[in-house]
Amino acid sequence: MATREAGKKMIMLKSPDGMEFEVEEAVAMESQTIRKMIEDDCADTAILIPNINSKILSRVIEYCNKHVPTTGATGAAASDTVAPAALAEDLKIWDAEFIKVNRATRFDLIQAASYLNIKGLLDLTSQTTIDTISDNSLEEIRSFLSTKNDYLPEEEQTIRRENQWAFQ
Amino acid sequence: MAEEAAAAAAAPLLEGLPDEIVLWEILVRLDPKSLLRCRAVRRAWRCATSTRRFLLAHHARQSALPIFSSDGCRNLLALDHRAAQLHTVARHDEPFFLEASCDGLLLSRSYSGRRLAVYNPATREHASLGRLPSDFRILGMYPHRPTGEYRLLLTNLRGPEGQIGCHVLTLGSDQPPRYIGWLEMVKPLLFEISALFRDSLHWFLQKYRKHVLVFDTTTESFRHMRAPLVLGDSDPGLFEMDGTLGINCHNDAMGIITIWVLQDYESEVWDIKYRIKLPVGEIREKFGDDGESWGLGVGVLSGDGDVLLLLNFGGWLLQVDSDGKLIESFDCGHRDLAIYEYQLKQSLVQHTFFPALKSGSAPPLI
Repeated sequence: MATREAGKKMIMLKSPDGMEFEVEEAVAMESQTIRKMIEDDCADTAILIPNINSKILSRVIEYCNKHVPTTGATGAAASDTVAPAALAEDLKIWDAEFIKVNRATRFDLIQAASYLNIKGLLDLTSQTTIDTISDNSLEEIRSFLSTKNDYLPEEEQTIRRENQWAFQ
Repeated sequence: MAEEAAAAAAAPLLEGLPDEIVLWEILVRLDPKSLLRCRAVRRAWRCATSTRRFLLAHHARQSALPIFSSDGCRNLLALDHRAAQLHTVARHDEPFFLEASCDGLLLSRSYSGRRLAVYNPATREHASLGRLPSDFRILGMYPHRPTGEYRLLLTNLRGPEGQIGCHVLTLGSDQPPRYIGWLEMVKPLLFEISALFRDSLHWFLQKYRKHVLVFDTTTESFRHMRAPLVLGDSDPGLFEMDGTLGINCHNDAMGIITIWVLQDYESEVWDIKYRIKLPVGEIREKFGDDGESWGLGVGVLSGDGDVLLLLNFGGWLLQVDSDGKLIESFDCGHRDLAIYEYQLKQSLVQHTFFPALKSGSAPPLI
């Protein structure tokens, strides 16, 4: 396994379109899928990440870099000067910026987060769609998610009547 | 019908995402009301979100909401502490007790007439169970796994010879309660709250403080398990937390809350996991009236491996973290708000006993 200065273990992630990303092992282990590969010793050279193209993989790594818990000498110094609440607030703002992407990219990120098993990223990326469904009218949901109504008008009325209170 | 199902199966739930992810990562996270509503978006969504497997997974993801009574015990409210929203889930025309809560179902009994009702606030289903015979008390409600039935565990302390002890009543059945015995085991029970966990009901026996009484809901039999040595502390209450059991109690001055946690269910090992010193001065100064005596209702919320205390003081709901720091205050305006030990975990799973039971005249649901 490659090592770099400061004794940090590095690890190579490869996307199917041939790009290679060298990342700190701790950052890669934000993904439970990769963590398991490393712990099971299946990851001595480079890890091929199937189905996730380099554009999406680089964004996932960007997320993990930001969210990896800070440890060691520099981490201790950081937490001495910055309160945990302020750090959490900073992360929230960063997340909000990170998720300002178009729907196709967001859906790709959801799939990547699901495959790589990164809970925080999965929560963040799926929340936008959850909010769309929770906060809008049926017509708006269909329009925002490009999905078609295939009910006959009287069928839709019946479903609305079954749980009328949910539509108020 | 078959054609409809085939068409629904062929079209993806959402263009651009595998159905697996839409169903198990997105739709399963909707709140119950949004989930019912989303079924009207398109056929495939309705099919996918109506299966029992999906609804059980949806139920499992719901947080356990603390429940309160107000308005002279006529109203039942639930708190979504993440959204800081207290909403009414039931309103009765007379004062009532909440007797049990399990799988999104609530069981209430009126103070005066002993009228029983079971209801599901998430689906708004409701059924009247008639009156409880006068010598009977309710010990708990549970799903009986081998049959899928929901049952009430009752006890009578008076009655004909050989008929005193525990009885089981199946919801939706027209059979009278079935006698199962166990008088000696339930005799010491006073008004302890039951905690349903691992298919067993549990009570902390306040009288002896040595045992937790356990009722195995599959075999419908009782046993004892070891309890922690809770000495001198007041109002010990048993509750389910994060996949184990906890007991919370407070010192006489109500300034320190101690929480015992069952570390290992099989070997019955308890540990004091939290001893939380409440910020009494800060709370009194910010939220108390002059001269108001110190007293509060305490609830424990658990999640993500930590606990939050929910305090009810002078019309305010306050959240204190496990370090004893006041982190949230919420003016709920209900001076007569009382915290129940039970929590509500909402569920849209359908139950066959609702159609089987006759509905009462006045549904308590909002």
